[in-house]
Amino acid sequence: MRTLLPALGAGLLALGLLAGGAEAAERIRVVATTTDLKALTEAVGGGLVEADALARGNQNAHDLEVRPSLMVKVRRADLLVINGLELDQWAEVVVRGANNPKVTPGAPGRVDASSGIPVLEVPRTRVDRSMGDVHPLGNPHYSGDPGMAPIITTNILEGLARVAPQHRADFERNRTEFLARLAQAMTRWSADLTPFKGAKVIVDHNMWLYFLTRFGLVQAGSIEERPGIPPTPGHLTRLIASMKEEKVRVILTVPWGDQKLAERVAQEAGAKAVVVASAVGAVKGTDSYLDTIDYNVKTVAQALK
Amino acid sequence: MRSLVGIGLLSAGVLMSAPAAAQPAAAENVEALRQELHQMRKQFETMREGYEKAIDRLGERIQQLESKPQPAVAAPSPASSPEVAPAPAPAPPAIAVSPLDLIRPRQPFGLYSTRGPGQLLFDMGIAGDFVANFTRRHVDKTDAGTFSGRENRFFPREVELSLFGQIDPYARGEVIIETGEEPSEPGELTIRLAEAHLTLLTLPFNAQLKMGQMRSRFGLLNQLHAHDRPFIDSPNVLTRFLGEEGLVERGAELSWVAPLPFFLEGLVGVFNGDNEDAFGHGKLTDPLVTGRLRTFFELGDSSAIQLGASVAHGSTPERRRPNTLLGFDAKYKYRPEGWPHPLLTVLGEVILQNRRIDVLGEDTDGDGVPDTPDERRTRKRWGWYLGGEVRPFRTGQLARWAAGFRYDWTELPVERGREWAAGPYVAFMPSEFLRFRLGYKHTGRDRFTDESSARRVDEILFQATFILGAHPAHPF
Repeated sequence: MRTLLPALGAGLLALGLLAGGAEAAERIRVVATTTDLKALTEAVGGGLVEADALARGNQNAHDLEVRPSLMVKVRRADLLVINGLELDQWAEVVVRGANNPKVTPGAPGRVDASSGIPVLEVPRTRVDRSMGDVHPLGNPHYSGDPGMAPIITTNILEGLARVAPQHRADFERNRTEFLARLAQAMTRWSADLTPFKGAKVIVDHNMWLYFLTRFGLVQAGSIEERPGIPPTPGHLTRLIASMKEEKVRVILTVPWGDQKLAERVAQEAGAKAVVVASAVGAVKGTDSYLDTIDYNVKTVAQALK
Repeated sequence: MRSLVGIGLLSAGVLMSAPAAAQPAAAENVEALRQELHQMRKQFETMREGYEKAIDRLGERIQQLESKPQPAVAAPSPASSPEVAPAPAPAPPAIAVSPLDLIRPRQPFGLYSTRGPGQLLFDMGIAGDFVANFTRRHVDKTDAGTFSGRENRFFPREVELSLFGQIDPYARGEVIIETGEEPSEPGELTIRLAEAHLTLLTLPFNAQLKMGQMRSRFGLLNQLHAHDRPFIDSPNVLTRFLGEEGLVERGAELSWVAPLPFFLEGLVGVFNGDNEDAFGHGKLTDPLVTGRLRTFFELGDSSAIQLGASVAHGSTPERRRPNTLLGFDAKYKYRPEGWPHPLLTVLGEVILQNRRIDVLGEDTDGDGVPDTPDERRTRKRWGWYLGGEVRPFRTGQLARWAAGFRYDWTELPVERGREWAAGPYVAFMPSEFLRFRLGYKHTGRDRFTDESSARRVDEILFQATFILGAHPAHPF
């Protein structure tokens, strides 16, 4: 036992030194809390960054289980990109368990991607949890709106430039190129959805407001009566009645939502439930940010036809 | 501002064009000069437009900054080009942390002076945990129930006020004040400091130092407060070996996460030793020393397991005899793809004790004089528990329900005797912040235990837990 403990300690130390040496030689390690932010980080960082996400695309980023495997990712990160607006508060527990001073609150390696976002649904009156799991800082689902990408990428660029100032010009060039592609795609997306301006849709969770507003669509209601609380039968009855009355033909649901319920509501209201990508990688064919928006625009346009 | 720029540029243009007008009026040059003047006018117009746009942008920016304290609900402009989205505020200056920064004196109220009106710079939350216990009269009389001294009562076990947040860029703090009904005085509530600690977050070598009063990270459940635990009551092995309150200690814990591709955390703690059951000397000269190694493995996309080993070594409260506890724990979760919660959770802990005790001589013939000598003995005792919970519905109303079971087996740490317990429970969670549990527990004890008059105990347990305000996410 006496010889075993020092040997074990020496082994761990050697592994640590090896791992530390390997880290130094590699690219800028960025960990983002969501796959949207990971994809946008890759767009800005290009080949200079190695990005990873804590939540998978098909997971609900509100309520991620804080696994130690997430701490391993953050433990090695040079930069942490968070969504902010209290969507990913669990990230603070991950950061505390990761023992990485580079990404603790206030450190240079922290990026809050929501900085500068014109936030929607900021409560103007007193809120409490009788309204469900409300977001007191406003709706945090801005990254699904391609119009917010310039702001998000600026925040990411500033963060990357803080940890690797020598590559600022590269990051700026990458961002400009990405935004040019985005602007091109935006023209196409706008054209695809212009015929449906003013069309009403129902959502399962209130996370499409930025996207719908961007393209002139209207959120007429949600299956979730209050955030984070399963809907009551009474609410569903009222929702179905209002869908019939207002001739709402589409329900947007997400991979982690209750799709069976969405389909049932759609069936009773004479509408159609479609699965949209809640984040990059949430469904097949949404491997990049542009692909994801493209998928969502096409899905919504097809459903509204 | 616009007129000033315009006048300036116009003056510059006039001054630059004046020498040209003074040239000899050769016919061939007049046309060339006119063209040059035209060109300059065009350039001037272009520059003026550029400046005007820049001024407009700055004006908008100032408006944005001025309106920042009042949250604005600004809808994004529909179908506009992404390039026209407003630019974000410049990032705050980076705070680089060096070892020198850590020892340099700082102004503790620097942050306070820059805060906005009505803003708290920390989070606060309240957790309320009420339990009820129904059992037979003889169990009540002998205080032999799970919540000893509070049998057949509904009482606040733990009502906590938590205040937590960043102290500065280098440290985080947490203070928890709690009240609850004491076993010795049913109906009486005492207010006490449950935890108060700071954690230095920016130490070198990926280490963190937590100091103050805290729940020691010995094993799986000791670090959790009662309302956060996966069962209504504490497993018997924990209450027998660590006391009803568990290891709540004053001292420091140093933790380190190894730079490995998998999670491996090690920590060492040094405490006074203020536990009344296991380590109670209460002096740093004879401290309670703890250690823990924790690792974690993903078993595919849906399953994961956490394994831990803990040690605690200190002196016993009564006669400063050495006591060592070894703990091993495991927790497994199965969470199918796309589920918002685990379908199955299984967890368990084993505690092994090696404790020196003084055994006083016995008076075998009844003359009042011990006939056998006092002696020191070693108590090697152990105990364990294994529990599980299923939450079989993914979504909808039924997803609010869970059911679980736990089996306990433990020896007593000093006296002779052992006990076992088993009990199922159901849980109903209307939301993330409210939970009710109803359980049944059967405890069996052998004839040597103190509570041998209540060798069979049947109890109905009820728990109501709520959270107001902020509450940090729970680790795995």
